[in-house]
Amino acid sequence: MNKTLQMFKPGLMLLMVAAAAAFILGLVNLATAGRIAAIAEETMRGAMQSVLPAAAYTDTGAEDDGEVEAIYAAEGGGWVVRVTESGSQGLITMMVGVSSDYACTGISITESSETAGLGAVAGQQSEKGEAFRAQFVGQSGTVAVTKEGGEIDAISGATITSKAVCKGVTAAIAACQALGGAQSAPVVEAVGPSSEAVVVPADAGPGYVTLPSGEPSMG
Amino acid sequence: MNRKQQIFEGVFTNNPVLVQQIGLCATMAISTTLFNGIGMGLSVLIILTCCNVVVSLIRKIIPEQVRLAIFVVVIAGFVTIVDLLLQAFIPALSNALGVFIPLIVVNCIIIGRAEAFSSKNSVKDSFFDGVFQGLGYTVVLICMCLFRELLGSGTIGGGLLNGATSFFTLDGTGAGIRIFPQEYAAGILVLPFGGFLTLGLLMALMQHMLSKREARRAAKEKEDDE
Amino acid sequence: MLASIVSISLGAILVNNFIFSQFLGLCPFLGVSNKMSTATGMSVAVIFVMTMASAICWVINTYLLIPLGLKFMQTVAYILVIAVLVQFVEMFLKKSIPSLYSAMGIFLPLITTNCAVLGVVLLNTQNNYNFLESVVYGFTGGVGFTLAIVLFASVRERLEFADYPKAFEGFAICLVSAALFALAFMGFSGMKIM
Repeated sequence: MNKTLQMFKPGLMLLMVAAAAAFILGLVNLATAGRIAAIAEETMRGAMQSVLPAAAYTDTGAEDDGEVEAIYAAEGGGWVVRVTESGSQGLITMMVGVSSDYACTGISITESSETAGLGAVAGQQSEKGEAFRAQFVGQSGTVAVTKEGGEIDAISGATITSKAVCKGVTAAIAACQALGGAQSAPVVEAVGPSSEAVVVPADAGPGYVTLPSGEPSMG
Repeated sequence: MNRKQQIFEGVFTNNPVLVQQIGLCATMAISTTLFNGIGMGLSVLIILTCCNVVVSLIRKIIPEQVRLAIFVVVIAGFVTIVDLLLQAFIPALSNALGVFIPLIVVNCIIIGRAEAFSSKNSVKDSFFDGVFQGLGYTVVLICMCLFRELLGSGTIGGGLLNGATSFFTLDGTGAGIRIFPQEYAAGILVLPFGGFLTLGLLMALMQHMLSKREARRAAKEKEDDE
Repeated sequence: MLASIVSISLGAILVNNFIFSQFLGLCPFLGVSNKMSTATGMSVAVIFVMTMASAICWVINTYLLIPLGLKFMQTVAYILVIAVLVQFVEMFLKKSIPSLYSAMGIFLPLITTNCAVLGVVLLNTQNNYNFLESVVYGFTGGVGFTLAIVLFASVRERLEFADYPKAFEGFAICLVSAALFALAFMGFSGMKIM
């Protein structure tokens, strides 16, 4: 009897320590969960307000396709789209405001793990970051960096990040067009003028591998 | 135990990063702004101290065979607590450090000190060991951050200090105090290359200082002998 | 589907190499890269454990932690899974494949505290990878680790004959050489499958 007890003692000890840890963690989680959720909620609201101010937003229930995660209809017209793109270091999550005539009203990067000083500039509250994000206002159709025939000046040293943001905005606009088109027929007209802005990049097709020659893209 | 000697060891002669050469991953990865460096350093200091105390408290009742597993659970517990608290109270830091906060679990400094020090020493000594070793880690991180941030982006105190509006912020938005324009900065120092290079140079500097010290001591002993 | 897998693989092996760009798994990287034979032994063990851990932790996270609302226990659960897994693999190999055990046995206990293993599992969760993507990321992350460590071992074997200042002895010169490798790997960062 004593011998079997000896054998189980280490396992029991480990179990006890693990149980104690789980208990304490549960308490800490209970104490912080509300606050963490509130912060997430507030960050999201703040980002939505900054890209397309409105009194209220309602989730349209659009399906998460791996790129466009959610579409919220803003009260008074337009949408705010949450998009996730893979940047140079990891995923970039952003909020894109799209007006009812399918032009971008602003972007806000809520989460990214891009390189500090390069790609991270895209989401920063700095002069450079603001200037980068401001370029997206009024863009419609396919949004691309200048090197690919678009109008967005990429952040120097962070071409990949800049391209990812462009791709996210394009996806957001396309998703809203699909949504708007499905809801009411006349909106199709609005697609016309915006599609004029589509510039097909001469040197780029889908599934290409690029090694930009001009500036190093490390961001 | 002599506290003065203990602090000297923790920060200098037995510095966890530069001399024991452990816990290198996070050191290089996050030392890009002062905000990250101080945040990470203090997080490790707190976790290390708590783990040292708990391990020292239970050192006499834990069975030998599952010793390491129990250490790991204790460490993982404290890491999660700090992680949750950071998410709730300093979300900017939690975002900036990302996966490197939970990765403190496998930071060799903590399990190393549990195994080498606190499982053999009194609670009081273990407490101070945690504080001083944590301090040594923080000092190295701050040095690396200052070097990489100043030369890599031309600022000091990024994320923490703000040149323009309020001087001190905790929300990670501070752009830092600009010393010279971004255009003249060697941006490569902020990239992985800079992390490896800076730590390599710091380590060489430390070895140089230690060998100088050793030589002086040898010379002195020789003098005493004669 | 295929595109995402190719892009994950390419990212894990070259663009976001675990060692040269994400700083994960440096302790074993510097510790065992001094000889080619130990480097390959360690690599095999790391690939194996990283793939297994990715698969098991994904199942535990999806079917146990999330339904039970225990997301905050992720770190604790993952590290325990890794520790137990390493122990089991060690026991299994010792009994059934002694030849493989003698090749990678001594490296297995070191792997528990290898941050690349916990790192890959945490990144799988953070990036919301599905089961297949997690396994692919775990495997290719291990391949990236192998690439880095084998390349570096060959450099270190030559470093022994190099003439450098005495202060740089040991890890310091290794880190400086690794910095040059990181620079070279940065060349991959423009590469991306859209």
